Amino acid sequence: MTLSAPWSILFGPSGSGKSSILRAACGLIPSADVTFTQTLPHPPDQPQSLDRVPTHRRNLAYAPQGAVLFPHLTVRQNVSFATDIRRQPRSVSIDSALELFNLTPLAHRLPRDLSGGERQRVNLARAFAVPAPHLILLDEPFTGVDRSLRDLLLPRMQQLVAQQGIPVLSVTHDIEEALILNAEVIRLEQGHIVDQGPASQVLADERTRMLGILNA
Amino acid sequence: MDFAALGLTLRLASFTTLCLLLLATPLAAWIANGNGVARRIVQAAVALPLVLPPTVLGFYLLIGLGPTTALGRTLITLIGHPLAFTFSGLLIGSMIYSLPFAVQPLVVAFASVDRPTLEVASVLGASHFTVFRRITLPLSRMSFLTAAVLTFAHTVGEFGIVLMVGGDIPGITRTLSISIFDDVQELRYTDANLTAAALVALSFLALLIVYGRGNRRSELA
Repeated sequence: MTLSAPWSILFGPSGSGKSSILRAACGLIPSADVTFTQTLPHPPDQPQSLDRVPTHRRNLAYAPQGAVLFPHLTVRQNVSFATDIRRQPRSVSIDSALELFNLTPLAHRLPRDLSGGERQRVNLARAFAVPAPHLILLDEPFTGVDRSLRDLLLPRMQQLVAQQGIPVLSVTHDIEEALILNAEVIRLEQGHIVDQGPASQVLADERTRMLGILNA
Repeated sequence: MDFAALGLTLRLASFTTLCLLLLATPLAAWIANGNGVARRIVQAAVALPLVLPPTVLGFYLLIGLGPTTALGRTLITLIGHPLAFTFSGLLIGSMIYSLPFAVQPLVVAFASVDRPTLEVASVLGASHFTVFRRITLPLSRMSFLTAAVLTFAHTVGEFGIVLMVGGDIPGITRTLSISIFDDVQELRYTDANLTAAALVALSFLALLIVYGRGNRRSELA
């Protein structure tokens, strides 16, 4: 699988292996027989294998499915976790990430005091606050987030990663989300890539079907 | 009441608790972090004091730390005297006797930390040690209280191993439980009753702390 666009979407039904690909990219499936390479944008322009790089050294940002938060840390501490463990001073990016996901008023709350949608936004903010990652991996990023908020957040997220030049690989089975992003779509079925290309092309049938329903 | 015995017992229980928590934390982390045969063997060995008579442990410690073994001779050379019938010997005996009470609560706590939580921390850049320090330890902090209270209370109540390793030297190795034994032997029932009542109260208070925090946790959950 080669990611060429700034934002790529793994699209497919439940059980098609989307989340497993993200977990394997993170190094969380040690037995998976895969090799990941990244092409550095600047010289030396050599593919660098990530296969033997331990999980914590892969420099990835990851928002897992189901909003897995650190229960003993506040929203702000969750979001600044990656910065704190790198012993970097808390930068403006933490505030920006909180602002981006409308979390500033909740910054001092603990995860147990948040709703499902709020937890999911903290999950995303924490991934977007990782200092200069090679890749951002988002697993079903808008589960539990209401659609109007999702439509507000998606362009903001797209704009931010475009500015910073960080590629994103997100997983979804939501056609709307893929069409709104208009990103590169990699279609998976039973663990195999069956199609890859622009959303408007790969999801053309689904788009026509949805339009048909709306026009009916 | 034998106040010298009370002081010694509290000192022994405090040192045992402190030393055991330092030893039990890495040991429990290792046991909780896998399912290999070596881990299961060590876990079984750690639990042995729960089922063995204290006199068996005391007997082997007395022999093992004495001049008849290489280990005992090395220790005697290093510190200048045998460990038996000293406070240090008592401390080692207490640590072995109470080992499962310190290790088991920590193993359960470390193993029950949600695995996806640890995985996310790792992907976000935390090394194994950082994950342990920043996620596992804070999420297990109440189990440290359980381990400390159980270890302390168990050490206060030990008898057989103290008698075997420490003998009954007033001010040096005579703990409260041995003091009760001496009082009964010499028919001083009032003194024995006073000390026994103090031990019952102390043990009950310790268990109340453990169960009290258990209820608090279930309220938070």
